[in-house]
Amino acid sequence: MGQIITYLRNNSSGLKFIFFGFLIFTIVFDVFANRHEPHFWGDSIIGFWAMFGGFGCLVMSVVCKGLYKNWLKKDDNYYDK
Amino acid sequence: MINSSIFMHPTTFFIIGAILLPLVKRVHISLQKVILVVVPVLAIIQVNMALPESFGLVNYLGFDLIFGRVDKLTLIFLNIFTIMALIGSIYGLHVNESGQHIAGWLYVAGSLGVTLCGDYLTLFVFWELMAFASTFLIWYRKKKKSIEAGFRYLLVHTAGGLVLLAGIFLRYKNVGMEGMAFEHIAANGVTTADYLIMIGFMLNAAVPPIHAWLPDAYPEATVTGAVFMCAFTTKTAVYVLARGFAGYEVLAIMGAIMTLYGVGYAIVESDARRILAYHIVSQVGYMVCGIGIGTAMAVNGACAHAYAHILYKALLFMGVGAVLEMTGRSRLTELGGLYAKMPWALVFTVIGGIAISGFPLTSGFISKSMIIAAAGEHHQIGIMILLTLAAVGTFLSVGIKLPYFIWFGGKDKSDIECKDAPWNMNLGMLMAAFFCIVLGFKNGIFGYFGYDWLYAMLPNAVDYHPYTSYHLSETFQILGFTGFGFFLLRKYLTPKPYMCLDLDWFYRKGARVFMWLALKPVTAVNNFTDNVWKSIGLAFTMATAKMFSWFDREGIDWVIDGSAKSVVNGGDQIRHIETGKIQQYIGFAVAMIFIVLIAVIFNF
Repeated sequence: MGQIITYLRNNSSGLKFIFFGFLIFTIVFDVFANRHEPHFWGDSIIGFWAMFGGFGCLVMSVVCKGLYKNWLKKDDNYYDK
Repeated sequence: MINSSIFMHPTTFFIIGAILLPLVKRVHISLQKVILVVVPVLAIIQVNMALPESFGLVNYLGFDLIFGRVDKLTLIFLNIFTIMALIGSIYGLHVNESGQHIAGWLYVAGSLGVTLCGDYLTLFVFWELMAFASTFLIWYRKKKKSIEAGFRYLLVHTAGGLVLLAGIFLRYKNVGMEGMAFEHIAANGVTTADYLIMIGFMLNAAVPPIHAWLPDAYPEATVTGAVFMCAFTTKTAVYVLARGFAGYEVLAIMGAIMTLYGVGYAIVESDARRILAYHIVSQVGYMVCGIGIGTAMAVNGACAHAYAHILYKALLFMGVGAVLEMTGRSRLTELGGLYAKMPWALVFTVIGGIAISGFPLTSGFISKSMIIAAAGEHHQIGIMILLTLAAVGTFLSVGIKLPYFIWFGGKDKSDIECKDAPWNMNLGMLMAAFFCIVLGFKNGIFGYFGYDWLYAMLPNAVDYHPYTSYHLSETFQILGFTGFGFFLLRKYLTPKPYMCLDLDWFYRKGARVFMWLALKPVTAVNNFTDNVWKSIGLAFTMATAKMFSWFDREGIDWVIDGSAKSVVNGGDQIRHIETGKIQQYIGFAVAMIFIVLIAVIFNF
């Protein structure tokens, strides 16, 4: 098992290629997906959840890291001091 | 009066097993291992085959205690709890210390007892057994940090248990004996007593702001203990909330907040087990939210998600626990590049990671989506968006970040000396991984363990199909572009070797204020009064004592001696007066009347 993972890791450019191919596929798939009755406006926009995923990831990272760096981050022995 | 049917309670297996473990270990260590597997297997059979709707009725001090009440809601939780007990016991087979297994099994027993009980008093007893037994799973790590965390854990749960008990007592006062039955409490006409009970339950479900005990304690537990803990406390709380408080709007809102709160911390935390602990908060948020929405589909979703969650969260704790067991480290900053040395732990952890993220063909896909869809169908769009955003954070933090920084992290090779975990740990992980994958398929293996099998166990009738093209499309996009986001942000998201403040700050620093109060002002006041006493009080006491002694000698003695003398003298004089002559007596009496008369006349 270790060898398979090592092999995959050494050929990560191929994996990257597959990954970006998958991203394009998700959008194409969304065009043809059979939509249910929309719960809200986002359900009827093609690629809405892709934007949601990407921006959601960005916003959460920035907000959480921001709070962490400026407020929540403490030394390990904070409670022992 | 005790009905003999109480012995069919599945808890009996675990309690008897716990007693046997240290005894058989003296005969041979392998006997302990046999019992560790046999007892959970017996419990699984018992739960799935032979439980009547009601058993174990005990009348104690005029209270009807119901140890066994079985319906569909009970059964699905019993099913997963016993399976989890088996997986956890196999994962811990290499541990020879019986005490750890005993603590684990009593904890399971408490959890099964709560799930089966039909009244609040029985519930409370098993509830406390859970808290008490699980504390030992933390203490058995035997490190200073664990001992301290264990005490905090125990104190918080004792406080929560007291709130629950207060609620139960108040409810008894308000409603009387029938209020002791543990049934759904209607949302209209709910009283303070019911809210206290709900708060007691919510503490165990780790609903913020009373959640901090979980990420504080779980990462300090033993490797095997944490696997048990992540499965039972919070999910038992989910069960009791589903039983008592389905359809409470406040739970829907709190649950949605929970999902994001936990995930936010998981994104920035650096300790692998603490990341997973925060993720329990997040995932239990989905269940609490589903229970709060309260529709048939939402409660089904909460139960299905609890089932799936126990398995993949245990799998993740097992994977990360294997790394901790083999390397002695759980900080992401101290790990990395382990892919060649512990590849199986990587494979299993990634399976747990994709299941928790809700990849198609895994258990998360068919359970989490049920709650989100229920929120959408109930027109709670805000909650639906929050839950979906939490799903993004889940994949980001546990699906990618956690395995990436443990097994890769841009390092070619780790310099830590280690190898893959022992066979029993891998077997435990394999079993959990099996469920995580197979639950994602409709028919599973020959109709068993697939999602149709799971849906058939749910408390309400199910009309839900997870694999619609739109749901697939939504999931592909969210996961794909979250992955893309991580790919771009991976330098920015690199964990740092610090700890994170959370709301346990209030009682951890609060305890210091208490200690400071005890050490400084209280001691100062104490010393001051001591000095006052020594310089003034003592002298005053001595002076008073002297005065009393003088008074005793000069006053009391004089009075007593004097009165004794006067009694003797008086007696002598009276003896002389008592002449026995009647004329003298009459004369004396007339004289007395005369004196009285004069006194009366002159006074008025």
